[in-house]
Formats: sequence, C-alpha cells, structure tokens
Amino acid sequence: MANPVKRKDFLWMGWGAFAAFLGGAGAATTRFFVPNILYEPSQKFNAGKAEDFPIGVSTLWFKQQRVWIVRSAQGIYALWARCTHLGCTPNWFISEMRFKCPCHGSNYNPAGDVLAGPAPKPLWRCRVEITATGDLVIDKAILENRAGVREKAPFFAEYA
Amino acid sequence: MALPEISLDKIEKEVTNSQIWKSMFRNWPWQDTARHRARHIVDNVWLHLHPAKIQPRALRWTFTWGLGGISFLLFLILTISGVLLMFYYRPTVELAYQDMKDLEFAVSFGIFLRNMHRWCAHAMVTVVMLHMIRVFLTGSYKKPREFNWAVGVILLKLTLFLSFTGYLLPWDQLAIWAVTVGTNMAGATPVLGNEGPFANLLGMTISNDVRFVLLGGTTVGANTLLRFYVMHCVAVPLITGALIILHFWRIRKDTFSAAPLAKNEEKADVWPNLVVREYIAAAAVTAFIFFLSVYANAPLEEIANPNVTPNPSKAPWYFVGLQELLVYFDPWIAGVLLPGIIIGGLCAIPYLDTSKKGIGYYTWSERPFANAQFMFGIAFWFILITIGYFFRGPNYFWYWPWESWLVHKPVSAPTWSFSLPVGVTLLAAYGALGMTLPRLIKSEICWRKASGAFLGLFALVGLWMKFGGDISTWRVVTVGVLLYLTFLFGFLYPQRYIRDLDLPRYTITQALVLMQMGVLVKMGLRLGLDVKYILELPQFNLNI
Repeated sequence: MANPVKRKDFLWMGWGAFAAFLGGAGAATTRFFVPNILYEPSQKFNAGKAEDFPIGVSTLWFKQQRVWIVRSAQGIYALWARCTHLGCTPNWFISEMRFKCPCHGSNYNPAGDVLAGPAPKPLWRCRVEITATGDLVIDKAILENRAGVREKAPFFAEYA
Repeated sequence: MALPEISLDKIEKEVTNSQIWKSMFRNWPWQDTARHRARHIVDNVWLHLHPAKIQPRALRWTFTWGLGGISFLLFLILTISGVLLMFYYRPTVELAYQDMKDLEFAVSFGIFLRNMHRWCAHAMVTVVMLHMIRVFLTGSYKKPREFNWAVGVILLKLTLFLSFTGYLLPWDQLAIWAVTVGTNMAGATPVLGNEGPFANLLGMTISNDVRFVLLGGTTVGANTLLRFYVMHCVAVPLITGALIILHFWRIRKDTFSAAPLAKNEEKADVWPNLVVREYIAAAAVTAFIFFLSVYANAPLEEIANPNVTPNPSKAPWYFVGLQELLVYFDPWIAGVLLPGIIIGGLCAIPYLDTSKKGIGYYTWSERPFANAQFMFGIAFWFILITIGYFFRGPNYFWYWPWESWLVHKPVSAPTWSFSLPVGVTLLAAYGALGMTLPRLIKSEICWRKASGAFLGLFALVGLWMKFGGDISTWRVVTVGVLLYLTFLFGFLYPQRYIRDLDLPRYTITQALVLMQMGVLVKMGLRLGLDVKYILELPQFNLNI
C-alpha cells in the first residue's frame, strides 16, 4: 500500500473517537438536566395602593409573596424575605426591630443589614415601581443589596 | 373404609429423592461433616461470599458487633419497604402530601410500612457510622484493606445522601426546608455555584449553576420533587447496591482482619458458627424495628410552604452537626469545603497511617495518636449534633435544655471581624507554627507541665477578658476549653507521636489535624468574642 495506516495512528484515532464520544455523551447528559422551560410562578406582583402602607415594616404580603414592604417618610422599598445565608425565611420582630432567621440565627435590621449570625450579605431589595394609578408593583427577579445603589430607583420608590 | 396411612418419613424420602429436589439442592443429603459444612457455604449463592473457615476472633460478638451485616440487613428492609411504599406514593406537589396522609389513614398497614422505612433509615445511618468506628478501632483499614475502607466511606456518604433525598418526598415543612438549606449549600460551591466564591468567573447565576441543575429550577418545586424521587428510588440505590457488592467482594479478597487469638490456632467453620450469629443478629434487629414501627409513628409536619419557615427549623439529627457548623462558617466552607475535606481525609487515613501495629484487635496503647485524633473527631461531631439538637431554640438562639423556649432572650450581640492585615497574620501564624513546631521540637515534652503552663497563662488572659473586657464567665471558660483542646490535639499529640513521620505523610496528617482544630478555634472566637470572620474578602465572597 502506498500510504499504510500506522498502528499508532490507528489507536490514537480509535481511542480519540471513543473519548470524544464519552465527552459528548457526558456533556449531553449534563445539558439534559438543565430544563429549558420553567413552570414557576411569576416573580412580579401588584401589592396594591402605595398609600395603604403605613410607616414601618409591613408583613401584609409576607405569607403570600415572601416580601416585607418598608415605608419611611421618604419612600418605599421591598425586602425579599430570603435569608442570604441559606435561603430560609426570617421572621419580623417589631419589639426588637429585627428580622431573625430560624435556621442558623442570622439577624438583620429593617434596612436589611446583618446584625448578628452567619449571613454573609445584607437582605436583597426588590425592584419597586409606583404606577400612574398609585399601585405598588414589586419584581422579585430584579434584586440589589449594595449600599448606595439599593437606596435609589428602581429599588427605592420615592413616596411622601 | 380405612384411611391410607400417612408416613412423614416416607413423604420426606420421596420428596428429597425426586429429580426436582436434587436439582435444586446439589449438596444433599446433609451430613454434619467438615466437607459438608464447607460445601454449604461454597455451593450456596447467598452464602458463597463467606469464606468456608474463619478466625475464631471474628466470631466474637465484641469484635465486629455484627455492624456491617446489620447495615446490609437494614438496606434490604429499606429496599422492600420502600418498593411497597412506591405503590401508593405519587411524586407531585399536589399529591405527595395527600398520599402521605392516605398512607397513614387510608391504606392498610401503610403507616406501619412508613414507620419501618423511616426508623430503618435512622438506624442505618447510626449503624453505618458505628461500623466505621469499629473498623477504625480494630485497625481493619490497614494494608491490604485501604481501598475497601475508601469504598466504605463512599457508602457512608451514599447512606446520608439517600436519607437526604428521601427527606423531601413527604413534602412537609421539614422536607422542603431541609432540602432548601441543603441545596443552597450547593449554590455556595466555589466557581460552580451562584453564591459561592469566584461565581463570576464562569458567569454563574441562579438559573444556570449547579444548584439549578440539582433542583431543576430556581426554587425547591415540582421538578425538584421528581428529581429527588428518581434519585432516591432508582439512581442512588443502584449505585449503593453496586458498591455494597464491591465492598463485600473486597472483604473476601482482602481476607478478614481479625488477628489470631493464639499461635497456630485452628480456624472455625463458618457454617454454622458465623451464619447462626448473623441470623440471630438479623432476627433481633428485625424484631426491634418491627416493635418500634408498631409503637412509634414517623413524624409528619404541616404541608410544605415555600414562604414560611418553621421556627426553629432543624435538620434531621445526623445533619444537625453540619447545621451547627453553618452557624460559624460561610456556606461554602461549612457546606462544601469541610464535608469535602472530611470525606477526603477519611479516605486518606489508611494511606497516612501505615503503621503495622494494632491490626485485627482493639488496642489504645499501640495506636495512641490515631485513636485519639479519630475519636476526638467523632466525639466533636456528636457534640455539634447535641448542641444543635438540644441547645438551640427559636431563631436558632442558644437555649439551655432546661430553659423554656418562651423565655425572652436579649438580642444577640453585634459581631465583628478582624481587619485584613490582622486576619492574614493570624491565619498565617496558625498555619506556619502549627505545621512546623510539632516537627521541630525534638525533646520529650511533659504534658502535665505543658498543660499547667498553658492553663495558667490562659487563666491570666481569662481574668483580663472577664474584668478588662467584661466578658461573662461561661464565655471565657468556653474559649479556654476550646483553646486547650486545640493545644492538646493540635500540638502536644503530633509533637509526641508523629514528629518523625516522613515529610509528605506528616504534612498531610498535620494539615488535617490543624483544620479540624481550626474549626474549634473559630467556634471559640464566635461563642466567646462574637468574631464573625478572621479573614474577610467580600469582593470574592471569600470569608473565613
């Protein structure tokens, strides 16, 4: 034969093809486990009229939407009630002005900053918007917790 | 008319002489000879993993305690009861909890099967742990059994993973929150998790990271329940079963570790000596599980609510130690790094401890270092479990077991962290001194004097903390005890026993020891001085 295939090259080719097959099968299996469509509820909801929220921490939507709505003299922001440690739902204790997590004991103040416990970051604030009709619309998919950014729109809605 | 005479002897003879019977039982008729006792093992598919003869020490209850066999029995009961439960259980968010209620109230013997499954799972976790402790204490992991020890460590991990996946299936509050916390730890994996250190390197977000793949979504929901169901009922039991076969096969090939009781002793026949003991243990454990399942019902909490967490929320007991660790360390350390090091370190033990002493019998004096370090680790794990289970109340606050949970507690004190230079210096000093001092000091240290000096020194520091820093006595004592344990197990033990080990083995062993003791130091700093982080690098999510 003019161009004989060497044993070495043949083996490289064969094992290479086998490795490529295994790699491809592994990648495809991993991709299979990533769902393309989720049937999860929308993260955006209408919390009602902004004027109905008194000054302070409101637990009105806590059980249904897992958010606290905090109103100050300047405006409104919404805290996502998910501990930044491992995702449990903290509880609001008005007498101590703290959110306390039942899983590992993290404590937060109404601004969302960590006071005690293992949580590594402040609570997340959700995107808030007051519509032309005066409705407060909260989007839990868009989040912020950096001081300086979280105090501005769209994570804070000015409302006197 | 006279009835035909019935002779049992004649019937037996006819049956056992038939072609059918002889085709099933080759080794017939049975005679009590050495040859038949051996063939009883060798010719039997269920028993042939046994050797025909065994060292007399291995027959003693107090050598193995039957723990490995009991683990396997529990796995079998779990498989059977689990398959039966599958006939009435549907893994969907709408139906799962209803089916649990139906199993309790509407299915004949449903509650009994569920109890049995639950109590066997708890028992299996316990027995597998005890089995590992037994194998360690008899030195049975040493050459040539190193690999089988590692297989055993993986089986322990799989036992815990089976428990974890099974926990979600009832779809009650305990289920959803245990799994939420557990899978959020996966989200804290370095590089691959969206909340872990260096998450931005590969652009990890909540909807493409390793947690998302595990959950099949962004929260614990319908996909998660189905995934955990398939893992719990099919995938993980298959892997576990395969590894159990490997484990048994290697025991046989590596031979039993039990040391001879006397020189030139004769081995005993496995049939009937060992097999009878195995059946007695199996019958006793089955009876125990049976009565437990009649008298005690497996708990079922309220239906899962993804918005509200029970207060306090506690993991099943074997994970409460991990939950307690999560109070002191960031999730990527407590939930990913430390478990990884524990599993890796356990697998490494036979390759680090290559001493030929103490194989096949219990001894403390011949293996003082290995036994002390290992049993300290085990004791520490169970102390963490005790703290988490009995000393934590609402908001996961510290409550003494005799205190009412209604007692109003003052708010927890604010935490603080060391500045970056101080933190780096402290960590570097701990690592450098801890690694070098035990090896460099060559003289024999008198432990009594060293302990006296250490405690004397700490007494002064403690007085200064109490009166200068106004820190309560029990906090000072906590810091003192934890620091002394670190001094004892992290310095005195290695200095006396492993300073002459070859360098690679010394380095790995001492690094593992220092990491174990480092956990205690951090606990002391948190409980005593409210230190949050020793080293804080928030820009990389990297806090220690």
